Amino acid sequence: MLTPAELVWVIAAVAMGDEGAFERLYVATRAKLYGVVLRILRRQDLAEQVIQDTYVKVWHSAGQFNPAVSSPITWLTSIARNRAIDVLRKAGEPSVDERPSAEAVTDSADPLARREMTEELKRLLECVGRLDADRQKLVLLAYYNGWSREQLAQNFSSPVSTVKTRLRSSLMDMRECLGL
Amino acid sequence: MSYGDDHIAFAAEYALGTLDAGERAQVETMMAVNKDYAAEVQAWEFRLAALNQMVGSVEPRPIVWENIRAAIDRARPRATLAPPPPVEAEVAQPAPAAQQVPAAQQAPIIADATGAHLASKARRWRSLAAILGAVAAALAAMVALEVLLPDALPDDLRPKVRIRTVEVKVPAAPPAPSSQYAALLQGRDGTAAFILTVDGATRSYTLRKIDADAEPGKSFELWLMSDKLPRASSLGVIGEANFTTRAVLASYDRDIITAATYAVTVEEAGGSRDGSPHSPPVFTGKLIETVPAGAAGQKQK
Repeated sequence: MLTPAELVWVIAAVAMGDEGAFERLYVATRAKLYGVVLRILRRQDLAEQVIQDTYVKVWHSAGQFNPAVSSPITWLTSIARNRAIDVLRKAGEPSVDERPSAEAVTDSADPLARREMTEELKRLLECVGRLDADRQKLVLLAYYNGWSREQLAQNFSSPVSTVKTRLRSSLMDMRECLGL
Repeated sequence: MSYGDDHIAFAAEYALGTLDAGERAQVETMMAVNKDYAAEVQAWEFRLAALNQMVGSVEPRPIVWENIRAAIDRARPRATLAPPPPVEAEVAQPAPAAQQVPAAQQAPIIADATGAHLASKARRWRSLAAILGAVAAALAAMVALEVLLPDALPDDLRPKVRIRTVEVKVPAAPPAPSSQYAALLQGRDGTAAFILTVDGATRSYTLRKIDADAEPGKSFELWLMSDKLPRASSLGVIGEANFTTRAVLASYDRDIITAATYAVTVEEAGGSRDGSPHSPPVFTGKLIETVPAGAAGQKQK
C-alpha cells in the first residue's frame, strides 16, 4: 500500500505520462474508489463505468492535482464520488425501500473500533456527533449513500423543504466546528 | 465575486451530494469561473472525505482495467510521437541537436492542425495532456539550454530577454534550486491551449502555444493568481509566435511561483490597460516540477 507521500509522487509521474506510475496508482487505489462508488450506485455495471471514467479523467488531469490543498486519496475519491452522484442524479432514483437502513452505513460490525482512525476522521465524527440524532443520520445517509433530498425526505417521512433546511443548518453547524 | 450564505450552502451540499442535477451543473460552472469558489467547494470535499475511510474496499473485475487502458489508447494521436532526443546529452554539440528538438515537437502538433471536426480536435487536445510528459521534459530541458547556451538555440526560439546563467549567485535570498516546472494550460472542457514552463533558478517562463488564437482585436494575457497576493498579476501579453519567453517572474518568491494558478484571459488588443483581468480565465493550469533541483544541478557540470 502506498503512503500519501508516495501517492503524490506517483500522481506527479502520471501527469508526465508515466504509464507504469498510472498502473501503480490504479492498483493502490482502485478498491477503495470502487467500494465508495458501488455503495452509492448499488449496481456493478454503473460502478464499473464510473470507475473507468474516473481513472481516464485522472490520467488526463493528474497535472491539476495540488498537494498543497488536497491529499491524493481525497482528490481521487472526489472525482469518483462526483461522477457517481452525477450518474445517480441523471439516471433517476430507485425506490428508497430497496436500500439498507441507516444502521448499515458502513460495511463492518464496528468500524469505529476496528480501524485506527485518523485525526481528520475523529474531528469530523466529533462535529457530526454534535448534531442531534436525526440530523446525524441525515448527513451520513446523504454522504454514504448519495441520496437526494427527495430520497431523504421519503426515508424520514418529511417534506423535501424540511430536509433541505435541516441539511443546510447541519452543514452550517459543522462548518464552524470544522473550521471551514 | 464574493459569495453569500446561499453560495456557501450550495458548496457544502455539493460536497455532501444532495444537490440535484441542475444545481450540480450550476456549482460546477461557478467553480470554473471563480477560483475562490472552487477552493471553497474543495475545502468541503476535503473535510467530508474522511468519512470514506470507513467504507470497505471492493476489488473491481480485471476487465475494468482493460477498459481504462483501451480508453486511454483510443485518445492517443494516430502518429506515434517519437520522443525528442534528450537535449541535455547534446549540450556539447548544441547547434544540430537543438534544431531537432523543436522540429520533433512541432511536427505532430502542426500535422494535426488541419482537423476540422470538433470531436477529433477534442481528442487530440486530450491526448496532448497525455503526452505532456515527453513534451514538458523536452521543453524544460530547452529552458535549461536557454540558461546555459542561449546562442545554441535557433533564432526564433532564442529568448527575447537575455537570461542570466544559473551560476550567478542570488544575494540575500536563499539559493533558488535550479529546478524546472511545467504546466498545461487548459480550458474548462480539457482542451489544451498552452504549455507553460518555468525555470526555477532564473524564474523565466516560456509559453508554448499549442492551438489557441485570440480573435482579431483581442490579445491573450497571462496572469499569475495566488492567494498570497491581493490580486491577479499580469505576466504579460502573449505574442502571436509559437513561443513567448519572459523573465518577469524574477520578482516573485519561488513559493508563490510554484503554488500559483496560471490563467489566460482575453483582453483588448495590447493587453489590459489597468492591470486587471477583464475576462474570466479561459485556460488555467498549475505547475508541476518536472526536473527536481538536484538533477538539474548536474547539467551544469
